[in-house]
Amino acid sequence: MIIDRGGAWAVVGAGPHGLSALKNLLQVGLDADGYERATDLGGNWNFHAENSRVYESTHLISTKPFTQFPDFPMPDSYPDYPSHWQVHRYFRSYAEHFGLLDHLSFNTEVVAVAPADGDRWNVTVRDRDSGVETTRQYAGVVIANGHNWWPKIPQYPGQDTFTGELKHSADYKSAEVVRGKRVLVVGAGNTGCDVAVESAQNARETFHSTRRGYYYNPKYALGRPSDQTADLLLALRLPLGLRRVMFKSVLRLTVGDFEKFGLRKPDHEFFETHPIVNQQLVYYVGHGDIQPRPDIARFEGSTVHFDDGTSAEIDVVVFCTGYLAHFPFLDDTYLNMVGDHPVLARQIFTPSSPTLAVSGLIQPDSGQWTIAHWQGMLVATYAALLAQDPRAARRFYDAMVRETDVRFTGGAEYKDSSRHYYEIAHQEYLRAIERDLQRLESMSGALVSAR
Amino acid sequence: MTSRRKSSTVMRMWDWSVPPVSTHREVLSIVPEGWIDQPRASRKPPILFIHGLAHGAWCWAERWMPAAAELGFPVYAVSLRGHGDSGGRKRLGRTLMRHYVHDVMQTITEIPQQPVIVGHSMGAIIAQLVADRYQPRGLALLTPAPIQGAAYTLPRLIQRRPAAAAKVLVGGTLPLGPEQLFCNLDETTAAMYVDRLGRESPWAQYELMLPHRIGPVRCPVLVVGTPDDRVVDERAVTETARAYGVDPVWLPGIGHDLMLDGGWEKPLSVVLDWIDERC
Repeated sequence: MIIDRGGAWAVVGAGPHGLSALKNLLQVGLDADGYERATDLGGNWNFHAENSRVYESTHLISTKPFTQFPDFPMPDSYPDYPSHWQVHRYFRSYAEHFGLLDHLSFNTEVVAVAPADGDRWNVTVRDRDSGVETTRQYAGVVIANGHNWWPKIPQYPGQDTFTGELKHSADYKSAEVVRGKRVLVVGAGNTGCDVAVESAQNARETFHSTRRGYYYNPKYALGRPSDQTADLLLALRLPLGLRRVMFKSVLRLTVGDFEKFGLRKPDHEFFETHPIVNQQLVYYVGHGDIQPRPDIARFEGSTVHFDDGTSAEIDVVVFCTGYLAHFPFLDDTYLNMVGDHPVLARQIFTPSSPTLAVSGLIQPDSGQWTIAHWQGMLVATYAALLAQDPRAARRFYDAMVRETDVRFTGGAEYKDSSRHYYEIAHQEYLRAIERDLQRLESMSGALVSAR
Repeated sequence: MTSRRKSSTVMRMWDWSVPPVSTHREVLSIVPEGWIDQPRASRKPPILFIHGLAHGAWCWAERWMPAAAELGFPVYAVSLRGHGDSGGRKRLGRTLMRHYVHDVMQTITEIPQQPVIVGHSMGAIIAQLVADRYQPRGLALLTPAPIQGAAYTLPRLIQRRPAAAAKVLVGGTLPLGPEQLFCNLDETTAAMYVDRLGRESPWAQYELMLPHRIGPVRCPVLVVGTPDDRVVDERAVTETARAYGVDPVWLPGIGHDLMLDGGWEKPLSVVLDWIDERC
């Protein structure tokens, strides 16, 4: 039996993007149901959940002003870079304030999202205690199941013969994993750098293997959070080339020459890879507590050989090699999969269906939840128009999916890597979303507007 | 919709790159007993009051807050930075309207559900700027500072109160006395209230001169004015109401500070009835 939910939308996941989608759908006057697999909201930031990938020491790497929901700022009592505990409390108060808890089902896993007649969707959910499955039909679905929970594990020659422990950062919840051991951290994403630093503080020896040299940005430079300075330069509309020069000189002045620390010289320009924000890594390299290494050549027993011919005895390898987007409940064809990742207009709309939207499939060079808010606003405003004037909404959708291949790189050429599938330059992206919203609003016209 | 382009609601460059520093915030509140346990859908919505130029949260606490709480509304009033018992007095000379918006947004996040926002005079402009980024349950604008910018009032101010005009132009606080604020108060009470007025940020005052382009706003809007207002003229009220496509409610016989003046019960009941009916 299928329960017809009429004009309601379903939202998959109650992380920040799911919450924002749910709130904005309700705010434009639509009905909406949110489904969450875990027993609490927060998604990745719900530390105790099975699929949460934050570790005990996780803090934000972007500051509050453009990381928070713009219509629900983080408390003034929070620091510039809040911890994951604070972030989780923040999401809870957001959900309480906007009355989302009444619309959320916890401990409820979405097992199938399947198309029904008239662009509608059948959503089958399973109660994780009783195992009982229920199918409801919705006018549309917002998928916000996150893209940082399904581990991507690399394969190196001899990896199967390695006698030490192989772990992915997905299993890394605290420094207990590395305490007193000889540790190899693989990958220089923000997690890789955090884990390397934590390992430097707790392990016997720490090696850090990276494919290339990177720019390690400090959290604070010249007495201010460095991302706020970066946004100031963007606000002043300085050209990319000038910003590159300024960033590199500030890095040189405040952190120094990476090569003198024994790190490799970056093989790319600034803004071509996702920013790494870590003030401590270079410090520990300077103390010998982190030994930088190039890519792994092969494993052999308890030894790891690197590309530069060096080798090290290792007890634990922590692969901080990232995650892949994974949609176990939906046929991939609906998300315009290219290889192992969806290619969507604005990272939201799929060419395969006008009533399916994805939120959160972004990796901004800035804070996340300001963008979560505007993605939610866009989807909700579109959904409202769809209910009110389907033909106008269809025009908007058709124009939108013609831009499926448009990326928002801020003028830079991102390095070709699974790490940059969802990379966006936040200001360029938000300007596009704002234009979309203005178009939608001029199409609906039923809104009260002040001059 | 307007032909003139409004500034971006998405790209908040200055808030991102130079965020307001936090200050101690005075928030007065009365939450009726048992309110929190009532079902969310049927209980009275919270009301957040925003005071006007040189005032403080105290102006709402005198009369309106206890009266509204008595009728079951949870009521909150914030003193903007540099006002009332909030901090930031020393930085008042560097305070902008967006700092006040920040203070109100911070207060909103501490309220258990979306409030109706009631702004008075300059507070009405702040309330509208807040509604530009946050959807309140309702937006009530009482004797609102002109949405079209107060610059047009300057010639008349210069004519009628040249000393006051000169003071404002050099960054002093607009002098407000009993004759501007009240119609029906005895001298002692009026003097006591006027005595509680503080200073205003010169920059916020200058910003009041400029036009504000706001919207779209997706909540019920109420605009209340009084023909006996000697601070905000009828044109400001009419323009504000027109911007939101509503008719203003006119309440003759009461002064600009309609939450303190004799006869304060009438405007309060207009606001509360509107909340009951529309929000």
